Amino acid sequence: MTTASDVLSAVQSAFPGAVLESRVESDRRLWATIDSNSIVDVCKHLSEKLNFDHYSGAAGVDWIARKEMEVVEIMASHGAHQVVAMLKSKTPRENPSVKSLANLFWNANWYEREIWEMFGINFEGHPGLYPLLLGDELVGVWPWRKDFKGYPDLTTGQRAVERPTSEGYTEYFIPPTPAEIEAGTVPKEKPKYPSFREREEKEIKSDSEMIMHMGPQHAMLPGPFLLDILIEGERVHKAFLDMGYIHKGIEKIMENRTWLQGLTYTDRMCYVASLSNNECYCGAIEKILGLEVPLRAQYIRVILEELSRIQSHLIGTGEFMTLIAGVGYAPWNFMIIDRESIISLIESVTGARLTHTFVRFGGVRNDLPEGFSDKCRSALKYIESRTKEYIELFEQDPIYHMRMENVGVLSPDRAKRVGISGPPLRATGVAYDMRKEDPILVYPDLDFKVVTGTRGDSADRIDVRLREILESIHIIEQCLDRIPAGPIKTETKVPKKIPAGEAYYRVEDPRGEMGMYVISDGGDKPYRVKVRGPVYATLQTLPPLLEGVYIADAVAIAGSMDGCPSEADR
Amino acid sequence: MDGIIEAISSFASQEPAIYYLIIGIIGAVVLSAVVNIGAMYVIWLEVKLLGDFSARYGPNRVGGRWGLLQIVADAIKLFTKEDSIPASADKPVYVWAPIVASMATMLVAAAIPFGALYFNGKYYPLVVANMDISAFYVEAALSLLVIAAFMAGYSSNNKYSLLGAFRGIARMISYEVPMGVCVISVAIMAHSLNLAEIAQNQTLWYAFAQPLGFGIFIVALITDLGRIPFDQSEAEEEIICGYTTEYGGIRWGLILFQEYNNMLLGSILLTLLFLGGWAGPIIPVPGLSIISPLIWMFMKVVIVLWFLIWTRSALLRLRIDQVTDLGWKVLLPLSIVNLAWAVVVGSYFA
Amino acid sequence: MGISDVIPVPVAVDEEISKWTIFGQPVADVWFTTTEKIHQIIEMGPIKNIFNWGRKNSVYFLMQPMGCCGVEMFVFGAAPYDCTRFGCMPRNTPRQTDVMIISGYITRKYLPVIKNLWEQMVEPKWCVAIGECAISGGPFYDSYNIIQNTADYFPIDVFVPGCPPRPEQFLEALMNLQEKIKQRKDKRGY
Ligand code: SF4
Repeated sequence: MTTASDVLSAVQSAFPGAVLESRVESDRRLWATIDSNSIVDVCKHLSEKLNFDHYSGAAGVDWIARKEMEVVEIMASHGAHQVVAMLKSKTPRENPSVKSLANLFWNANWYEREIWEMFGINFEGHPGLYPLLLGDELVGVWPWRKDFKGYPDLTTGQRAVERPTSEGYTEYFIPPTPAEIEAGTVPKEKPKYPSFREREEKEIKSDSEMIMHMGPQHAMLPGPFLLDILIEGERVHKAFLDMGYIHKGIEKIMENRTWLQGLTYTDRMCYVASLSNNECYCGAIEKILGLEVPLRAQYIRVILEELSRIQSHLIGTGEFMTLIAGVGYAPWNFMIIDRESIISLIESVTGARLTHTFVRFGGVRNDLPEGFSDKCRSALKYIESRTKEYIELFEQDPIYHMRMENVGVLSPDRAKRVGISGPPLRATGVAYDMRKEDPILVYPDLDFKVVTGTRGDSADRIDVRLREILESIHIIEQCLDRIPAGPIKTETKVPKKIPAGEAYYRVEDPRGEMGMYVISDGGDKPYRVKVRGPVYATLQTLPPLLEGVYIADAVAIAGSMDGCPSEADR
Repeated sequence: MDGIIEAISSFASQEPAIYYLIIGIIGAVVLSAVVNIGAMYVIWLEVKLLGDFSARYGPNRVGGRWGLLQIVADAIKLFTKEDSIPASADKPVYVWAPIVASMATMLVAAAIPFGALYFNGKYYPLVVANMDISAFYVEAALSLLVIAAFMAGYSSNNKYSLLGAFRGIARMISYEVPMGVCVISVAIMAHSLNLAEIAQNQTLWYAFAQPLGFGIFIVALITDLGRIPFDQSEAEEEIICGYTTEYGGIRWGLILFQEYNNMLLGSILLTLLFLGGWAGPIIPVPGLSIISPLIWMFMKVVIVLWFLIWTRSALLRLRIDQVTDLGWKVLLPLSIVNLAWAVVVGSYFA
Repeated sequence: MGISDVIPVPVAVDEEISKWTIFGQPVADVWFTTTEKIHQIIEMGPIKNIFNWGRKNSVYFLMQPMGCCGVEMFVFGAAPYDCTRFGCMPRNTPRQTDVMIISGYITRKYLPVIKNLWEQMVEPKWCVAIGECAISGGPFYDSYNIIQNTADYFPIDVFVPGCPPRPEQFLEALMNLQEKIKQRKDKRGY
């Protein structure tokens, strides 16, 4: 078994002097500061020699007091070992620039674009540094830097200037106030880059091709993002994706809230999986604090997270069915009815339907209500029979097979390379599940198996989700059997100010691997929270998958990914 | 009864021809009233049934517990909406598309027998224009709607609309042939192309005499009507609303209405061709015996409608290439097999 | 708009028609005055009530999930809460909808899009703001990317507080809107 210290010594012997600082937090976490000149080589070595085949994301940190910026690369492995390496490389705050990993890892592209547009860190050798989440007017402001103060005052609306475009529509333009200009929150000089429109129009090669917008408002989308497809007749030649239509800046907002207040924002990141987001945030802070969660609280968390997984899969599948069948399709309504019974169970514990804010540092907010276990069991029995019915229904439907099989096929190798996770990855046959990889809470004691598919197509993705519901039901039943009596919060008082430190914590969100990287500088507010969401990775894989398919297939593929743009945008 | 008909026809045949026109106009008004009110309640039936299939109530706030006036409210709303024409649309074509759509359905309605009255041992079919080739004519006119759809899609100057229109045409072309062959097979068995005669000549329902043709005709009919699983031209999740994307207000209402009109007429056609039309035991009650064929007809049509709506809530949508594949590679050969069958069986019975 | 806009006839026909008179007045003028009169009559009296009865009982909403509240909008449209009881249905194209539900946060990037959608809707139209975000920015009141004052951009008839509001509140908002339409108290005065 490879452990973090093995990895560290391997890197140190391969690149003497490259590791400037290092810390082995546990067998599974390695923190190292790498000389910024050799970061690319180190990453290459890790991925080629040491099985780090999962590039899981990157985070930027602005250390304003130290006058430097940091880019943290998160590297992991698809099952070969369980070490997560957090490799930092530093760069001065004036004209920050680091080497790009985009040529090494395909999926580094978007993570680096995000860091560029938010922090202004330049990536040498990146194929196209264009903004992804921000609108053009905010580029150059670098909003996630610590000296950014430009929250719009409440008068933005009154300041907005209407101006007609050449096509006869109205556009809004919000001119900066003098105060904003003075505070330096308006970009002094704008970076030059072609806009999204121009980039996609460059790809039109002949007269018979056109670009069709799917979004930002489109019946296909679970939330606003822009999927543009370049079509010729019914064939999609190329696809382009633009995000940020619901970019709220949660990560920045959380830096301005106390630790506990920040919890509410994790709810609103992905609103159909808010419990696992809560868990992820609280888990990271518990790690910094070294808190032990009482056993009962752990069980309660597992029960609720699995319930939330069930409802998320139900609405995800149901919504997807309307995409390939139309809104009149009856099973979609049945799935929503089933979901309501789960929602009301969760509500009886947490008091809210979607945004729970239930998990607390070192415990949970309140205990299970009386009679919960009986109600839960009967509801689960019902859901189980219904889910089996759905599986059977889809198995027997010939049109379903015609539409879904061999559509949007991802091979295991490709899926690993593009950094996708969750059901789309498991559908290809890779059993990669955070509950097994990076076990938290009481998951190691529970008996469950990781559901995998074989073909990696749209049908498999749906199938994996439905069978995961059955697996979750199994988990919850075990928990209900075993749950002990006892306290639901730690005895130790959670301090207002969290001691300085950092932690990276991963959970299995219904949509895949979710990680939070939390840094505390000893204050009562987080210094930085970086969310590595599953949907961000999923959406990034979407455009290449759509090349060469039919328009109708594009819908079937995009829908089966179960993307939640709100979480991708944050 | 014969007397009434004679009186009407002698009134119409007077000189000058204005009398003929009067009768024609009265016929047209009655006809459009019947068809349009029928279509309104087809919409109502669809909303209610779809609700039922997916475990909900459907409209129940206006017009009593069954929401009978919901469709009236919808119509009033659509009539009083702003009339909007996109600035970049091809105006004349855009404006005429809904009108052509209504024309298309009225053309069908003119030649289709809605039922019959039974009087003194004789059936009197209720049809405005009793043509000798009405089976063919109706089948052809039923697909005229796609021309209106193409006009709408082309003129809207919208990518979704254009794609919807293309899909509609592709689908129509590939299913018109098998459908026509099915009608020929029926005509061969019935020795007539007149719908009323076909209905009356069915001693054994053609659904049983040529089950293959029945199946093909149902599929082709659903395609012609553009309903799931063949609603690619309006696939909401792919191309918003297809060719009606840019239509709002009463212009959209008209197009929508014609789709349901066509659905009603299509199910009547199916009933006439394959389900024995108004055939059924005469109810031996003095008042009811006259309209008993109408009652049978009504019941059969409602069952067909129910089936059409049921498919919508139970089936997924096919991809456009699969649709054309199915039409050319499966249904067309099968329909020719059915034609051969009809020739053999038909000549045997003759 | 002349005839030649609708039917492909030569412009000369339009010119010819503009010369026609009726009761000593140009036809077009008579036409406009009569339509105006008709509108006045409609505005005054019971006919308007009938119109509003129809409008209130058939409000189609634009399917446009934006934030967390968008999920509740899905549920509101589906079986357990069943908005079709009120004659309220989701449609996907703005041309065929009557009410826009702002179900969540509007970002700077999304504002032009949603404004376009609003302008594409045909009159009469209404707007409902769902959730704290759509009212005042909600939890994101100090975000650099969220528009805080939706009411400056859209004439909002019903505000629904909550984060997120329950689907029942969606239904209540719908009923409030219906009541407003019936009493002709809505923002745009239909
Ligand atoms: S009001 Fe609350 S639930 Fe609704 S969109 Fe805003 S944050 Fe989400």
